[in-house]
Amino acid sequence: MTDGPNGRWFDCLPSCQAQVPCGAGWHPVRWEAGQLRLPEHPDAEAELVLAALGGEKAGCVRLAEAWGRHTSDLSVLAIGPRGPADEIAVGWDDVAAAEQAGPGGSGGFLSGLSGAPGLPGLPRWAGGPGSPPAPLRRLASPPQAGGLRARQQQGSAEAEQARRRRLDMLSLLSLGYGFQLRLAGQVAAAHAEAPDATTRPALVAAITGRLALIAEQWLGIDPGQVAVSLHSGPGWGQLELAGAGDKRQLRVALPASWLARVWACGLALTGGQLVVAVERAGWPRARVLALRAPGADPVPLDVHARGADAPHWDV
Amino acid sequence: MNREGAETYLRVLAESQLRGPMTAARGQPWPLAGSAKLTMVSQALTAVHALEGEVAADILADLDLAVSVRQRPESPIPPPSAPAGTTGATGTTGATGATGARPRPGRVRFARTGPMIRPPAWPSAFPAGARGPERPGPERPRPGAPDRFVPVGLRIPYRDEVLSGEVFLMSFAHTASGARFAVAWRVHSSFDPDRAYPGMVPFGDFAVTDDRGRRYHLDFAGEGPDLYGEVELRPEPPDDLRWLDISAPGGRSVRVEADPAALAAVAEPEVSPLTLSPGEQLLITLAERLLTVTPDLPPDLRRQLSAMSPGPLHIMAAGIGDVIAALQAADVLSPLSPVPGQLAAVCAGMRVSGHGITAPPAYDLPEPWLSLLAFYQRRKPDTPPVPDGYAAVAAALPELDGIRLALLGLLNADGSSWIKLLARGLVPESRTGPFGIDYYFPLSFWIRDNGGRWHAGRPALVRQAHGEWVVKLQLVPPLARSTTSIEVLAAGSSAQVRVRLPLRWGYPQ
Repeated sequence: MTDGPNGRWFDCLPSCQAQVPCGAGWHPVRWEAGQLRLPEHPDAEAELVLAALGGEKAGCVRLAEAWGRHTSDLSVLAIGPRGPADEIAVGWDDVAAAEQAGPGGSGGFLSGLSGAPGLPGLPRWAGGPGSPPAPLRRLASPPQAGGLRARQQQGSAEAEQARRRRLDMLSLLSLGYGFQLRLAGQVAAAHAEAPDATTRPALVAAITGRLALIAEQWLGIDPGQVAVSLHSGPGWGQLELAGAGDKRQLRVALPASWLARVWACGLALTGGQLVVAVERAGWPRARVLALRAPGADPVPLDVHARGADAPHWDV
Repeated sequence: MNREGAETYLRVLAESQLRGPMTAARGQPWPLAGSAKLTMVSQALTAVHALEGEVAADILADLDLAVSVRQRPESPIPPPSAPAGTTGATGTTGATGATGARPRPGRVRFARTGPMIRPPAWPSAFPAGARGPERPGPERPRPGAPDRFVPVGLRIPYRDEVLSGEVFLMSFAHTASGARFAVAWRVHSSFDPDRAYPGMVPFGDFAVTDDRGRRYHLDFAGEGPDLYGEVELRPEPPDDLRWLDISAPGGRSVRVEADPAALAAVAEPEVSPLTLSPGEQLLITLAERLLTVTPDLPPDLRRQLSAMSPGPLHIMAAGIGDVIAALQAADVLSPLSPVPGQLAAVCAGMRVSGHGITAPPAYDLPEPWLSLLAFYQRRKPDTPPVPDGYAAVAAALPELDGIRLALLGLLNADGSSWIKLLARGLVPESRTGPFGIDYYFPLSFWIRDNGGRWHAGRPALVRQAHGEWVVKLQLVPPLARSTTSIEVLAAGSSAQVRVRLPLRWGYPQ
C-alpha cells in the first residue's frame, strides 16, 4: 500500500516491544514505524552468515526471519485476532513444545480432503444414529516401491514445511496482541493496493470476521447477519442495513485498506461510531471518517489515543 | 463457475465457525458440528471443481490452527519475569494499556490439529500390480471388433477329491481388455465345510474349447474372499467366437452361447437428454445417498427409521443448507433450481431435521425417489434377507458423461442385492465428497423391478481390471427373487438411459 496524502497505514500506531527467548535469556524485539527491530542484534545479517557456517542462530534472529516470511501471508489474517476481546493465548512454552513435537499430527480437518475412507472431520458415528455410509471400497494393485518412496518423501517434506509454518505462527502469536495487530496490518497493507481473484476471498473473509464483531457492538446485530464485499474506486465504500428480524442484514462494502488503516490501528469503533476511513493519520491524534448509524453520511472526527500496544481511541 | 465466490463462501463460513471458540468459555472443546459443516462444504466445492483441494486444505488448516490457539484448557502458569511495559507471552501483563492485563497462556493443545498436509495427488492410473504390468486397456487395438456382452445363466457343478461345488456363469464379456465370465460359486470342502475361498475353485482344471476346437483355460480375477467375481478366458478368443464348451472336473460339459446374435433380442436402450448443473448433480447424489443409507444403520435403527422423530439421520444432514448456499455462491447451482426443494422433501420424508435447506420442500420428486420414500414410510426398511441367487443379465449402455457401462450380472448374496458393471471412462479420484460420496462412480443408477418398485444402486466397490473398471453396486432395497425383469435407469449430467432386461435366475444347490 503506497503512502497516500493521509499518511502511511501504520502512522496511527505507536511502537511496541516484547521479550523473546534468545540464547540463555530474554531479549527485546521492537516494532517501530512498520519495521521489526532487534535492539540486541544490531548486525543480524552477520549473525545469519555465522549461522549458515554452523553457528547457532539467535532466537531474536529466528523470530525476525519468521516475521519476514509472513508479512504478506494471508493466513495471518485467518489465524490472528479478530479484536481485543479475541484472546489468543500462546506462549513461548507452546513454541518450545511444538518444536519438540514431530511433524506428525492427529489429522484435524485435513484428513477429510485426503481421500481417506470414511468421513474424517465429522463426529465419530460408531455405527450409531446417522452413521455415515460405508465408504466405497477401492481395490487396486499395490503401488510400485519407487512411487511409494517418492510419495513418502513428498509427504515428509510437506509435513516438515507444515511444522515450520506452525512454529512460525506460534512464535509470532507469542509476541502478544500488539504485535499480532501490527503483523495483520502489514499483511493487509501488502495486499490492499490491488487485490485480485487470489487474494480477494481472504480479504473479504478477514474484514467480515472483524467487522461482524464490531457491528455487533455498534448495532447489536448478529455477526452472522453481516455481509461484506470489497469496495474499489473512489470514496470510502458503502453500508446499508436491510430487512428486519431474522432477515436483517448489514451489507458493507469497504476497501481492503480498511483492515490496515482502520482496524489494525484499533480505530474501527471509536466513540460509538464506525470508522470507515482515516483522513489524517497520526499518533496520538488523527482525523477519521465515521458513521453514526447505517444510512448516515460519514463525518470527520478528530480522535486521540491512549494505551500503547493496542491503542484505544476516543473522540 | 465462480471460483472466487466459492472460496469466499468457504472462508466466510470458516469465520463464522471460529466465533464459537472466540466466545466460548476457555477449555470448552470446539463443537464438532462446526468442523463437520465446514468439511462438508469444502468437499462439495471441490467435488464440483469450484475450489482446488489445496486451497480448501489451506483454509481448513488455518481454521484448525486458529481454533487451537484459542483453546486454553489448562490453568495459567505463572509467567517468568520480564520488563514492565512489554507485551507478549513473556510479559507480566501481556498487552498493556487500555486492553488491560491478559492472562498467561497455557499450553496450546493441538488435539485436533494436524500439520497442513496437502491431499496426495492420486495417480492418473493405478500402478502395476503384483502380477506385473497391467495389460493395455481399452486403447489396445482391436480394430472393428465390437464389445460383446452375453447373458449366460448356466450352472456348472464340479467335484474333485476334496472339493465340490458349483460355478454359476452370469455373463460373458469380450472387450478390448479381454474376455471374461462374471461368475458366482459355491465351494464345499470335506475338511472345512464352513469356509470358501475363490482359490479353492479348481478353475485351472476346467476344460474349455470353442466352436473351432481351440482350447482355453480360466484364470480367476476376482476381488477377494467373495463368492462372486470374474474369471478370464485365456488366451483371448477370436472376435467371431460362437460358443464355448466348458467341462468341470467331475461334472458334465455345458455349452455357452457366446454370440449375442444367437440369443433373443433385447430392447434397445432409450437415451434422453438432461441438463443438470454440477451443483444439481451433486445434490442428486446427496439425496440418493440419503435414500440409501439404511445398509449403514444397525438393524434396530433401520426398523425404527420412519417412526423416529427427530430422525436418526439429522446429524448426517447438518450442513446441507450450507452446501446449497456454497454451490449457489460458486454459480454451479441456479437459485431457480428445483433440486434443493426436492432434497428438502427427501429430508422431510425421511424425518431428517437440521439440514438448513431454506427452499420449501418440493413434492414433485423423481419417481425412483418417491418409490424409496414409500419403502421407508411403509416402515419396512429392514426387509427379510433375500435368499442367495444369481441372475444372468448382460447389456451395454450408451455413453453417459464419457462413461460407458455394461451390466455383467446381478446377484443376491449375504442378504443384499448387488449388480456388477464393467465401466470404461471412470477417472480415478482421490477426493471424498460430502456423506462420504466417492467420485469414482459419478452416475446415478436405478433399477425398477417388474412390480414397479425402484432400487437404488449404491457404489460399493470399484476395481481396475486391465484399463477397465469392475464396479459393484449394492441395490437398496434388495431385489426379490420373484423379479423376472428389470428396467435399468442410469443418468449422468447430460443424459439418461433406460433399458429393459429379462432376468434368468439361478440358485445355489
